Amino acid sequence: MIRTENLTKVYNGKAAVDGLDLEVGEGEIFGFLGPNGAGKSTTILMLTGMIEPTGGRCFVDGIEVAKAPLKVKEIIGYLPEDVGFYGNMTGEQNLDYFARFYGMDAGERKKRIAELLELVHLDGVAQKAGEYSRGMKQRLGLAQALINDPKVLFFDEPTANLDPEGVREYRELVTHLAGEGKTVFVSSHILSEVREVCRTVGLLAKGKLVAQGTLEEVARALASPDGDAVRIVVETREHLPPIEDPAIISVEGNGNRAVVRAKADIRDRLAATLFEQGLHVREMRVEEPEIEDVFMAAYRR
Amino acid sequence: MALDRLLNVARKEFSDHITSRRFIIILGLLLVISTISIYEGIEQYNDSLEAYTEQLQHVQEFEDPYSSWMPSKPSIMYVFMSMMSYMTMLGGILAIAIGFDLVSKEKETRSLKTLLSHPLYRDEIINGKALGGIGALGFAMVLALALAIAMLLVFSVVPTLDEFAAILIFGAVSLGFLLAYFAVALTMSTISKESGNALIYTLVIFFTVSSLLPMFGMMAADAFAGDPPEPPEVSMPQGVVRTVSSSGGFYTSSVSQSVAYDGTQDPEWTAYEEEMKTYIEKRRFISDVSNLLSPQMNYYTVAIAVTNPQIMAMMDAPYGTAQEETPGLAGALGRVWMNIAALIVFPSVFFAATYVKFMRMDIR
Repeated sequence: MIRTENLTKVYNGKAAVDGLDLEVGEGEIFGFLGPNGAGKSTTILMLTGMIEPTGGRCFVDGIEVAKAPLKVKEIIGYLPEDVGFYGNMTGEQNLDYFARFYGMDAGERKKRIAELLELVHLDGVAQKAGEYSRGMKQRLGLAQALINDPKVLFFDEPTANLDPEGVREYRELVTHLAGEGKTVFVSSHILSEVREVCRTVGLLAKGKLVAQGTLEEVARALASPDGDAVRIVVETREHLPPIEDPAIISVEGNGNRAVVRAKADIRDRLAATLFEQGLHVREMRVEEPEIEDVFMAAYRR
Repeated sequence: MALDRLLNVARKEFSDHITSRRFIIILGLLLVISTISIYEGIEQYNDSLEAYTEQLQHVQEFEDPYSSWMPSKPSIMYVFMSMMSYMTMLGGILAIAIGFDLVSKEKETRSLKTLLSHPLYRDEIINGKALGGIGALGFAMVLALALAIAMLLVFSVVPTLDEFAAILIFGAVSLGFLLAYFAVALTMSTISKESGNALIYTLVIFFTVSSLLPMFGMMAADAFAGDPPEPPEVSMPQGVVRTVSSSGGFYTSSVSQSVAYDGTQDPEWTAYEEEMKTYIEKRRFISDVSNLLSPQMNYYTVAIAVTNPQIMAMMDAPYGTAQEETPGLAGALGRVWMNIAALIVFPSVFFAATYVKFMRMDIR
């Protein structure tokens, strides 16, 4: 549904997005992760047809965005970071103004706007948008992104201004939208937010895609800077003797507990050796790195 | 560019303008001042009309077969001359007030990014904004003219068809003047990141082209035309010096004509007059070229041609043979075609600059 080919955007001689190749399937909830300034928002602006790429191409539903930006805009919804509205108009008037660009007639607009305002709990709010709190603006932003019942949704830091209840409702909404077959592209620098709703993720750093896949796949790809080393935690009832195996890289021991770094998962061999020595194994497991630690390390690289 | 999308933006902008507090306050002030000055203008017109009737009766009572002099009937267009001065000040402020934050405010509130995510092109946004602003200024102008015509009718002054055409042209010229400053404000709003800066830049341009530029024009004329020719030492021949002056706002002009009646003009004085004529024309040319960059000066020149073609004709021949007959409106407008063109070119240049800047604007 979303595809980029060597997508590049250069500002003042510096690449904000550098040769990005990305693919997001239909109905996926894709998390676009990366630290601030990684190029996430610039990528979204190119995908939504709001800026033209310096190089490469991007497609949404098979339409090349730079060649037919209006066609793309008709099938997408976009919630920008720090979404803004016309402060002299109510939420309903703002939505009505945007809805007119989709050729909807008055009756259709009225019905759709009422549905959306109810969905984001802003129905019956008579205040002007200029008097809205940031959370209310964010909710109105969600409504405006859905005004045209889009096939693809782009959310840029969607939970930045929401309270915990708003975040919970947003997560439910995203899951519900994906259930309807919509593709959701969520850009965020908050891993915990992305892992809650996204099935697949891509990690962007300094304008380049570092990894893409499920969260576990990406974490694994990023986990070890020294190849495919596996960390095995071993604990016995007795004091641990020196452990020897051709696959072992290093052992960090402390009494009856040790962390073995090996070239492969050698738990079976290790268990047999310990059993032969008459030791009672209390625990033996492969230690997975914390995803947060892996991403933080990748952010810092 | 699709018309429906363009009109959607324009309609919203127009509605925003005419319901905004600042527009209503300035327009209200403009209409109040307009009412007062038109009332005074009508009083003066009635006085002039009374004097004209008396002169006409006088001429009929003393039928002088050797005199072909007839008093000229006052025109109701004199009423509109008073509108010129406050139009340049309050009208200019109104135009700046609706234009200075049209784009910068959208950048500040981030609504531009939201708008651009919907299916419309950038040129539709900027053209729609310009159209909405022009509509609002047109609305203000129509209100001011409608009020003026209504007052004329209330005081039983009915314009002729020619006068009605002149009123419409005066309205169009005034709108052209307002558009000049609206275009400047819109450009500054597109260039600046903040509305406050946009307002300051616009006011700097406003005062530069309205006050500083005419002053520079005069200084340049003094510098380039040199010293005026010295009069001959022989005594001045008998003649008549007629002076006509016209004023409005910052602008005052006076022209003089020296006509020798006794037929025995001194050749030295004739040569002096020729030199003086060349000198004045040179000065005037330099000053006029500089003034072409000032919407105020162009507006005054064209508006005077519409409201008082006779003064325009005399200003046009400051040291030559003046036309004794009152020139028509078409003739008067023909004389000021460069000013009319300048009134069109000035906002066009700024609108073009706005367009280019907006199309290339970084919306991150």
